[in-house]
Amino acid sequence: MEYEKCYVYEPEDHRPAKRRKVEPQGLHGSWNVRREAYETAWGTQEAQFNEKLGDLNANAIYKLTTFLDEATRDSNPSGIPAAILSTGPEGSSSTGVIDQLSREQNAQKRRVFIRISASTGTNLKALLKAIIQKATSRQDGIDDEDEEVTTQKRGVKLLNYDLQLLADYVSERQLEQVAIAVGDTEAFDSDLLSDLIESLGYWHDRIHIVLLLSVATSASSLQQRLSRAAVTCTKGQLFDVAPSDAQIEGVVETVITDSSITWPGADLMNLVLERQSDYIQSIDGLPLSLKYAHMSHYYANALTVFLIPDIKFADIPSDHFDALRNVDSFRQHCRHLLDNGQGSQVRDLLESNSVLFTLARHKIRELQTRLDGMMPVINLLYQIQGTLQGYSTLPTRYLSKLYKLAMSGRLTSDASLIRSMLLAIRKSQPEIIGFVFLVCSTGFIRDPYMSRFVTVRRDINRLIGQAAEENQELHSADHVQNSTLRTTIVAQKVELSKQKATLSKRDEAYTKLLRQFSDLLEEYFTASLIDPKAFPFHELVVYDLRSPYRETFTPRPRQAIERALAAPHDYLDCDCCAPDGADGNGEATLSASQPATAVLYQLYLESGSLINVSDLRQAFLAVLGDEGRSEDENIALFQRALAELKCLGFVKGTRKRVGHVAKVAWRGL
Amino acid sequence: MGIPLLPDELMLMLTEQWPCRETQITRLASLLSPTRNNPSILTIYGPRATGKSDIVRSYLKATTLRHAIVRCRECVTGRHLLERTVAAVHQSLAEEEDAQEYNGRCESISALVVHLQRLLEGKKKFVLVFDRVDKQRDAPPTLLPALARLGEFIPNLTTVLIVQHPPPRFLHQAGVPHIHFTSYTRPQSLAILSRNPADIFVDAPPAELEYDDETHQEDKTWLWPRFCAAVWDSLGQNVARDFVSFRDVCNKLWRPFVAPIVKGDFGTRDFSRLVVNQRKLFQDESVLLDSIIAPVTTSADTPTSKPAIQHELPYHAKWLLIAAYLASFNPPRFDALYFMKSTERKRRKKGGGTARSGGRPSQKRTVPRHLLAPSQFTLDRVLAILHAILPHDLRTTIDIYTQIATLAGLKLLIRSGGIGSADPLEPGSKWKVGTSVRWEYVQSLARSLKFDIADYVVE
Repeated sequence: MEYEKCYVYEPEDHRPAKRRKVEPQGLHGSWNVRREAYETAWGTQEAQFNEKLGDLNANAIYKLTTFLDEATRDSNPSGIPAAILSTGPEGSSSTGVIDQLSREQNAQKRRVFIRISASTGTNLKALLKAIIQKATSRQDGIDDEDEEVTTQKRGVKLLNYDLQLLADYVSERQLEQVAIAVGDTEAFDSDLLSDLIESLGYWHDRIHIVLLLSVATSASSLQQRLSRAAVTCTKGQLFDVAPSDAQIEGVVETVITDSSITWPGADLMNLVLERQSDYIQSIDGLPLSLKYAHMSHYYANALTVFLIPDIKFADIPSDHFDALRNVDSFRQHCRHLLDNGQGSQVRDLLESNSVLFTLARHKIRELQTRLDGMMPVINLLYQIQGTLQGYSTLPTRYLSKLYKLAMSGRLTSDASLIRSMLLAIRKSQPEIIGFVFLVCSTGFIRDPYMSRFVTVRRDINRLIGQAAEENQELHSADHVQNSTLRTTIVAQKVELSKQKATLSKRDEAYTKLLRQFSDLLEEYFTASLIDPKAFPFHELVVYDLRSPYRETFTPRPRQAIERALAAPHDYLDCDCCAPDGADGNGEATLSASQPATAVLYQLYLESGSLINVSDLRQAFLAVLGDEGRSEDENIALFQRALAELKCLGFVKGTRKRVGHVAKVAWRGL
Repeated sequence: MGIPLLPDELMLMLTEQWPCRETQITRLASLLSPTRNNPSILTIYGPRATGKSDIVRSYLKATTLRHAIVRCRECVTGRHLLERTVAAVHQSLAEEEDAQEYNGRCESISALVVHLQRLLEGKKKFVLVFDRVDKQRDAPPTLLPALARLGEFIPNLTTVLIVQHPPPRFLHQAGVPHIHFTSYTRPQSLAILSRNPADIFVDAPPAELEYDDETHQEDKTWLWPRFCAAVWDSLGQNVARDFVSFRDVCNKLWRPFVAPIVKGDFGTRDFSRLVVNQRKLFQDESVLLDSIIAPVTTSADTPTSKPAIQHELPYHAKWLLIAAYLASFNPPRFDALYFMKSTERKRRKKGGGTARSGGRPSQKRTVPRHLLAPSQFTLDRVLAILHAILPHDLRTTIDIYTQIATLAGLKLLIRSGGIGSADPLEPGSKWKVGTSVRWEYVQSLARSLKFDIADYVVE
């Protein structure tokens, strides 16, 4: 324990005597089918994801490639051209850019692309060695020889960290450029980085070197850390490669709009996005979270077999139907039918599997189509909002927020958000309405509304055209500027009267048409925005379980250990140390039957920052009492428990006072 | 003077190529003469950018003395230098004679002596130049004295050491000839710089002005030296004395300086008016600072200074950093006062003025705490402070530990001192905030979180 921090677990080779259940049984029987369904469902989404993520980096990569090409053309620069990539605190997004770049660049024959990081080497020699090895072993794999000296063709022996090797290689292959990407400049020792840049600078007249430095904080902090000579020999250019919020939104958008089998629910999305903004900046975690949600939905929920588009009735084992009858939304559906006096239908559903199958398929498909129709509407809402944003004081919501609202059923046409948006449309000037039309016309509006929309647009456009010909402006009567409040005093009472500014006939027509348009939109929103929770079997289509995500992505190792020690019953579930209260909510108390380490830990919690070991031992012995053990055994237990606490990092020897140990960890942090 | 040191035309060529260095070239010619006896060791010294290496190189090339030049700055280790020396000598010999393969490891200075003896046996004069040998990395302490004595073992070998500022008796040997390359004086700098005047007009001026190349040539040879003199007087003589930085400053300032001429506001000979008009250029000292970001020289009017791109930390990382700052700069004994919820009243009272906070300054003079170096803290303390200052509850998950690791990766949090600090599993290990986490930085972080940090800092 003292000298071993970790152990290698070596299981014995023979199988247990008991036969294992290899064949899945019960609800688990459909697991293979569900796994295939998961693979098809996630596969399409993943492809879209990757495409979108690739697009995210495309701009940065294009700029970097241009930079590299320009550096090639500049035949005699005064310093090393350096691209300084500002990546944001989470460096992993930049590795995405660098990964992609190196894949593209290595395909080229004229350029070598090398990546190094702080872990590559701790001194200049190791770094240079790694650079040379990586560069020269690209095409012909030189064996990894430990030999310090490499022989050259000319017969001169060179040390393997001599950049002359690289220079010879470059001139031999007639390479135009050696690009060196330095991963995490912050993790580098400042002197080492300066030394590296300086020594590359000496060779710059023979090897065309380009540096790509990733900076997580800021370029000026990098500059402060470099030596003056290193600063003078770099000629940097700043690139911003971190994805912005808007880009993250774009990725969310594809996920939301392109799925057509299951959708992540509001609560889950909330959790995922909150974690994204609170802790993480890179976007790589997002696909993983959603992938995990899909996996846990398909793998753990046997009822997802009903989601497979071409599943036959005969393919589903009968116990799955029993499970389906237990779903909350199905029970509500039955209650609803009973209330409507359709008892026979309920009986059919409860007795016949095939009837239930038909209903389930029908309802699931219906919900899927409705949700599929809702996503473009959310998008349209978002777009219109964005268009109006510049002209009115509407609060903007991100698409992901709108999605969350819609999935929780709070985004109905009565929502204040939509109300204020429609009001803004009614008040809007002709030029703004033009933009709104532009947004609406790009295929967002479904067909029954499409023809009406086309009519309204044609009419309004004609009006605008007429007004423009006569050089007049169109005004909406709903606009505040066009009406004034008038106060008149009649019989000592103030009368408020709204006075419309005199509007031409054309203005009135315009107002009417705008109202038509906003009514049309409202109707459309009412028809399309649904509350998924109101549909039977929504549990299958909308996946909204938070705990699997939480347990997997945000585990609490420290709390688990503390809980195990403070309340061992929670984990052991033995009868002997059950808490006093019979219903299980009594205080966990110290008892001799608990593991010795747990007993000692609970005593430890009560002490101050310095613990007298002798006192601790006495208290420990008092708790153990006389369970028929000899004192020697008890002391041994105590010593082992203390050693275990030390190994777990709770106590530490101290030199402050003799016979004491220091308390290092407090509970609940 | 009996035999001339060097043929006249050679001397002329060198002095033509390297102006203002006649003395040095003559001395070099006398000490490294191809025809006379040479000293076994020669030291060339002088400050940066005085032509030491280049003059030696072109002199040796011109006189066809057999030589090898080793650039010490490129050598990563002491052994690297020795290996390269052998390789360079071998290569220089192989150029004229049969190229025999020469393999031999050279791991120590003694081995170098043996190798050189073998290589140069029975050969004529050979000059071995160690360029910037004072900048050699990981040099063994005996390197310089040993190099100085190479000539004692190998006849016909002359070792030339090029150094910047030799300390007295750095070779542990008396009577070593030195050649001093002095830094260029004002007239010398100006004379050299005037040899290549920069263009006033990048694009040819419009044809109707009848401004031909010849006039342009005349104008720029007239204007450029005057401009350089002005730069020298304003900036160069104080801070950019060495030739390279002086030239850089001149080049940097030249385009903005002649911009009014190009625009047509001034004539090419209106030097004094132009200087008065552009005097801001000569007062601005920012041109002297080097930057890793190359200034964006667009064809447009002035380089627009973009705001520095800086990415924000995630929400919890900011709080963590503030907590770490407080843990670093508040002494632990005040923690109960500042961070326990029950003592909130006491903290609020602070502004009200108690007996001690009255007008008289304290007798003891203390340095403000935020100007001192950060002190160490344990991780538990910073987590406890984090819980105390957060406006909402925190569910401590693995994400917090990830944030700590990220901040440590960015050197914003540093593991510090103590035994076993390299071991990440060491219980109760000490941490510090990084050097870049200063009061101003934390204040701006706190402001972005709408957190009044001043309430929590012990004065």
